[in-house]
Amino acid sequence: MIELIFFLLVGALLLFSLLFFAPHKPQGRKDTKPLAEVQQALDVLQLGLLSPELVGRIFSKSDFDYVVSETNKKVQRLFLEERRRLALSWVGEVRRQIVSLRHFHLGSARFYAGLRFLTEMKLAWDFAAVLFACRALRAAVYLRGPYAAPRLVGSTTAAAARVCGISEKYLDFLRPARMISFGDDSAGGSVE
Amino acid sequence: MEVVNAVEDLHRRTLSNMPRGLDRLIYLASTRDYNTGTYHHDGLASRFSEEVACEALADCHGEAFGELISSDLRDLVQQLDEYRDSTHSSPGEFIALWRSLEPYRVAIPVGTDPLAAELLFSNIKIALAILEARRGIRPAAG
Repeated sequence: MIELIFFLLVGALLLFSLLFFAPHKPQGRKDTKPLAEVQQALDVLQLGLLSPELVGRIFSKSDFDYVVSETNKKVQRLFLEERRRLALSWVGEVRRQIVSLRHFHLGSARFYAGLRFLTEMKLAWDFAAVLFACRALRAAVYLRGPYAAPRLVGSTTAAAARVCGISEKYLDFLRPARMISFGDDSAGGSVE
Repeated sequence: MEVVNAVEDLHRRTLSNMPRGLDRLIYLASTRDYNTGTYHHDGLASRFSEEVACEALADCHGEAFGELISSDLRDLVQQLDEYRDSTHSSPGEFIALWRSLEPYRVAIPVGTDPLAAELLFSNIKIALAILEARRGIRPAAG
């Protein structure tokens, strides 16, 4: 009798542990919120922040040359202040979106895409590189203005585009058509 | 396909008469209901439908914004100066009003990238300063 009570208690304890530690969401129904967020981050980067038109205009020296040739010191100062503000906003926003992508990869990507170890290492390196480039560019723009480091602008843009490309390649199921089929897949089938 | 035809129609009948991107941006923004964000154009709606007209106007609005963002500062200054000239307002009055009311802020399409919008606002602010400096005028108090 004592043995029975003991085993019942152990069983109850195990059941309680199972309920307590079990994930709140069933594996078959993956949360699509991170997918929507990473899709948004990719869109913001690829369609907006990294577009050659926007980057070109913010960091284009031709506008500065025009202002220097056409106007007085007061307008030149205003121009440089405005461009510096925009350049800092650009770097800050690129960094924010890249951090959002990295957050997704660290937290959720392994549940959705079977990234190989080498690819994960490459992605980790690219994330580190682009975040470092953002910090360096931010410091350069802050200290010496928007035209201080044109090469760094290029390398930051290129590194960010690389991260987007890799993310997009391995998360191509984030596209709307895939999202619908994924959402309808109540059995939680494989996405690839 | 209907939207493409409506865009073409809009370009042919209306927008081709506006050579400057700034004019097109302001005109297209004026066809938008500020409360609902929907665009209205009676002529276009009668030839197509309300929905198609709305979509065509939104497309053209985005296109005009994209053109302005891609313009260099020299071009924008010229466009602003010519636009001011077309309104028949005095330079001082125009600059003072645009600085205080910032009417261009409501002229951007919905869903525009905030940084792209900031770039346009910043460029217009600088363009106003350049026009002021070029003419050696003091804007009227406002």
